[in-house]
Amino acid sequence: MASEPADVLIIGAGATGGVVARRLAEAGFRVVCLEQGDWHDKGEYRGAELDWELTMRKQWATSPNIRGLPEDYPIDESDAEVSPLMFPAVGGSMLIFAGAWPRMLPSDFRVRSLDGIADDWPLSYEELRPYYERTDREFGISGMGGDPAYPAGGEDPPLPPLPLGAGGLKVARAHTRLGWHWWPEPNSILSVPYDGRRPCVQRGTCQQGCAEGAKASTDLTHWPKAIDLGARLVTGARVRRIETNADGLATGAMWIDREGAEHFEPARVVVLAANAIGTARLLLLSSGPGHPDGLANSSGLVGRRLMMHPFANVGGLFDEDLESWQGQFGCSIESFEFYETDERRGFVRGAKWGLAPTFGPINAALPSRAGTQVWGPDHHLHVKAHLGRGANWGLFGEDLPDEANHVTLSKTLVDSSGIPAPEIHYKVSDNSRRLLDFHIEKASESLMEAGAYAVEVDRLMRYSGWHLLGTARMGDDPATSVLDRWNRTHDVPNLYVVDGSCFVTSAGVNPTSSIVALALRAADHMIETRFEQQVPA
Amino acid sequence: MTALDAAALATLAAVAGRLIPEAHGMPSAGDIVGESRVHFVLGARPDLAEPLARALRPELGDDPAARLATLERDEPEHHAALVQAIVFGYYTDKGVRERLGYPGQVAKELYSWKVPPFIEEGLTDQVLARGPIWRDPATGRRATG
Repeated sequence: MASEPADVLIIGAGATGGVVARRLAEAGFRVVCLEQGDWHDKGEYRGAELDWELTMRKQWATSPNIRGLPEDYPIDESDAEVSPLMFPAVGGSMLIFAGAWPRMLPSDFRVRSLDGIADDWPLSYEELRPYYERTDREFGISGMGGDPAYPAGGEDPPLPPLPLGAGGLKVARAHTRLGWHWWPEPNSILSVPYDGRRPCVQRGTCQQGCAEGAKASTDLTHWPKAIDLGARLVTGARVRRIETNADGLATGAMWIDREGAEHFEPARVVVLAANAIGTARLLLLSSGPGHPDGLANSSGLVGRRLMMHPFANVGGLFDEDLESWQGQFGCSIESFEFYETDERRGFVRGAKWGLAPTFGPINAALPSRAGTQVWGPDHHLHVKAHLGRGANWGLFGEDLPDEANHVTLSKTLVDSSGIPAPEIHYKVSDNSRRLLDFHIEKASESLMEAGAYAVEVDRLMRYSGWHLLGTARMGDDPATSVLDRWNRTHDVPNLYVVDGSCFVTSAGVNPTSSIVALALRAADHMIETRFEQQVPA
Repeated sequence: MTALDAAALATLAAVAGRLIPEAHGMPSAGDIVGESRVHFVLGARPDLAEPLARALRPELGDDPAARLATLERDEPEHHAALVQAIVFGYYTDKGVRERLGYPGQVAKELYSWKVPPFIEEGLTDQVLARGPIWRDPATGRRATG
């Protein structure tokens, strides 16, 4: 299609693709991006419509296997205890993510040193902090500075916090009585007008697209600016392999359009931003004579160490009407009270808690999280007890890396272009189960102290694989890592991976703020080293 | 979208009334989930049309309880479609939502310039008074500043 190679070809127009494209375009790079999905107009989102709770279970489901859109690829998850979730679009999975925006904590970067397990990261919290602050400004983060769960200093979130809601206030008061940590959750959802976007209206439908444009996604926050600066974004472009030359350098990507025609996009540098399953899949699909086990895979770790954050939901039921179907979704408050390792608990590491709204009446009748279905005359009592009277703690447990948890290529399942689908193998570790059991008990205590008369628990939610991490980890040793500390593959000097694949350990927090901060750091490094960058002749 | 014939609609009403009967001031789903609600549900969720039609086929008999039991045991996808169609139809009915006091997911203006109640109550002050809780990677212990 293009005869002149792009300076940088980005594969994937989601969170990190947008961040890298905008930064490189600002620095004068000629950027091309291939995205298998499309733009989505705010008018398509169903949050304000009567069919919201119907379409959220199919067309706007978070699992590609449930949605089955032509631009989705299927995933063989028959050997996985958690289903991976994602969305193919400009803006990527940010269209359907909750928007919770906590940072990793300092200890998360030193798990091996502190707890004797897993690995240390090749960088520290302090090294990443300036990038957190920059991406907070780019996306428009609402929150409140001074959280004692983090080191003091640095910039506060640029916008004031979103409301706690009646449920959040009850639980915050309970934590005050218990002497437990809580803090207003930082969210990538506007509390005031910002950068030409409107603030949140508390509709509570963030995970099916934000019709207000208040929730950040790169189709709103980054791509328009990148395109204004000259970046070229091609939608409906499904990449099937990255090509390399005899020197072992990436030369571009082969891709298939919606009509099935094949194209080659040449580039001097290739950046993968396709999430930890899509990126691993592409590297494995790009095997060749010099790299029969996949591109950039001399360590054998491409696709290995998949982490998805085992997730438990603890819901409290209250006598009074909290109008809990409203509010950011997103979280209202968070707690890091039990985040750090205490070996007396019988496990290492911990979990961040985030308090979320409940849904509408259909979810009260057919719960997608903790809860049961009740039929007959008592059905009405059940729905009335749940509708608007709940508060949900979501518990993200740190998922330790395990090479047995991995992405490979299916031998039987293909996408709509005939490309082998990813097949994932994922088991929840004993440490994670003990961790979740402990945190479920403590979260239940929190809600009972807040006044809940009953607590309902989903001990391991299957459709909770929002956080896809670790399948091309970074590190200083090429024998034990895929990427260097700047997100460049050890094996291919002009190939970068900037999505959550790079994670060394998962931490126990929602990862998007860390993923985009790392991507911005990688983009800055590309700019700083542009004149030393090895490129194909 | 597959339209349901009169017999299928009657079967649907019977099953709906069994699952969600009139009680506690709420109407029976058998009186609510008629042709209009089915049309709405299948318009929004056309994927349910075929399994719903299968769940309502006459061969499964006249007894709603027996139909539900058979479907749940032998045809879980058809059972799920039937239950969803009933619940979706019932809770998107205007009168049902009014009786529940549920207005839908409405837009509310934020007043971010107001001091929030948690600040007025001093709740975050008490969190701050307990000091930092992050673990210092240099020492492995809780930070002191």
